Amino acid sequence: MGIQDIIEGKKQWRAHVARVKALPRDYQIVYQEMQKYFFKVGPVDLTEGNLLSGIVDFFEEGAAAGTGVLELIGDDVAAFCDDLIKDSRTYAEIYQESISKESGKAK
Amino acid sequence: MVDDLREMLKGTLEGCVLEIIGNEETYGYAITRRLNELGFADVIEGTVYTILLRLEKNGLVQVTKRPSEMGPPRKFYALNDAGREELGRFWAKWEYLSSRIDKLREGGR
Amino acid sequence: MNFWETITGSDLTREFKAFEARAGALPADYRAAWNQIKFQLLPYGNFTGRNLMPVLDSALGLLEQTAADGQGIHDVLGDDIPGFCAALAGGEGARSYRDRWREQLNRNVARKLGRLGG
Repeated sequence: MGIQDIIEGKKQWRAHVARVKALPRDYQIVYQEMQKYFFKVGPVDLTEGNLLSGIVDFFEEGAAAGTGVLELIGDDVAAFCDDLIKDSRTYAEIYQESISKESGKAK
Repeated sequence: MVDDLREMLKGTLEGCVLEIIGNEETYGYAITRRLNELGFADVIEGTVYTILLRLEKNGLVQVTKRPSEMGPPRKFYALNDAGREELGRFWAKWEYLSSRIDKLREGGR
Repeated sequence: MNFWETITGSDLTREFKAFEARAGALPADYRAAWNQIKFQLLPYGNFTGRNLMPVLDSALGLLEQTAADGQGIHDVLGDDIPGFCAALAGGEGARSYRDRWREQLNRNVARKLGRLGG
């Protein structure tokens, strides 16, 4: 599920949004902020993996067990996010590589 | 002391999780509890989740969704062949590392 | 041929049209920010556009989400849109921007959970 689906308001994405809305309020807040962060950082997993739906799976389990969201992932939400995308390249990185390749060719 | 432990544990936690999964098919919450019982009190579910995600991405585990008594289905993890190999490599590395460090303490070479 | 086609080659125009359609649904101040982001991202090297598409896509996704949240555009982008774009494209200052995004994330979480009375 990627940004492409968000764009087109596809059924899959709408279902995803509905799942987020069904989470307890504290989970929703943290999810939304995490998603914003991912949009800025732009990890490839955002469109090619199931980063976001995986998080919702995980959050649903935590909420069902009655765990608070920060109890589940720790206070440092950014560190948790970075851990999630540790192996994922970002669009910016790919973009920078393509530039350096092109300028290399030009020389 | 706990903070020191966290830093030292970082590189080995993935191996610990592999070992736990290697014993029997299990899920994130149970793995976290197992680590907590073992004395790694500050390991939280989120940390285990990021490790499981990595194991899955690297093709080391087989993931099965099973319904649970309460709440959404749970993801259960079992080692596949590649995972078992990785676990073997982890223990080999661990033995090497700990034997070197022991030697250092004994003042040997 | 419009500006974007000239720059990117027309095979990308369909994607750009889709972007513009999405941007058209944004509130006016967000739309203005989108236009600025597009032009700020242009000078990044001799890009063909193709590799910049996911970066733009991601930026637009961010605008869409924050607009839906009813957040002010200023809270999202800050004062320094060129710097923000440089960070999006992974250019100079990207690292310090990422630190800022991290802080922003944790601060927002703390503030919003606090408001929840947790």
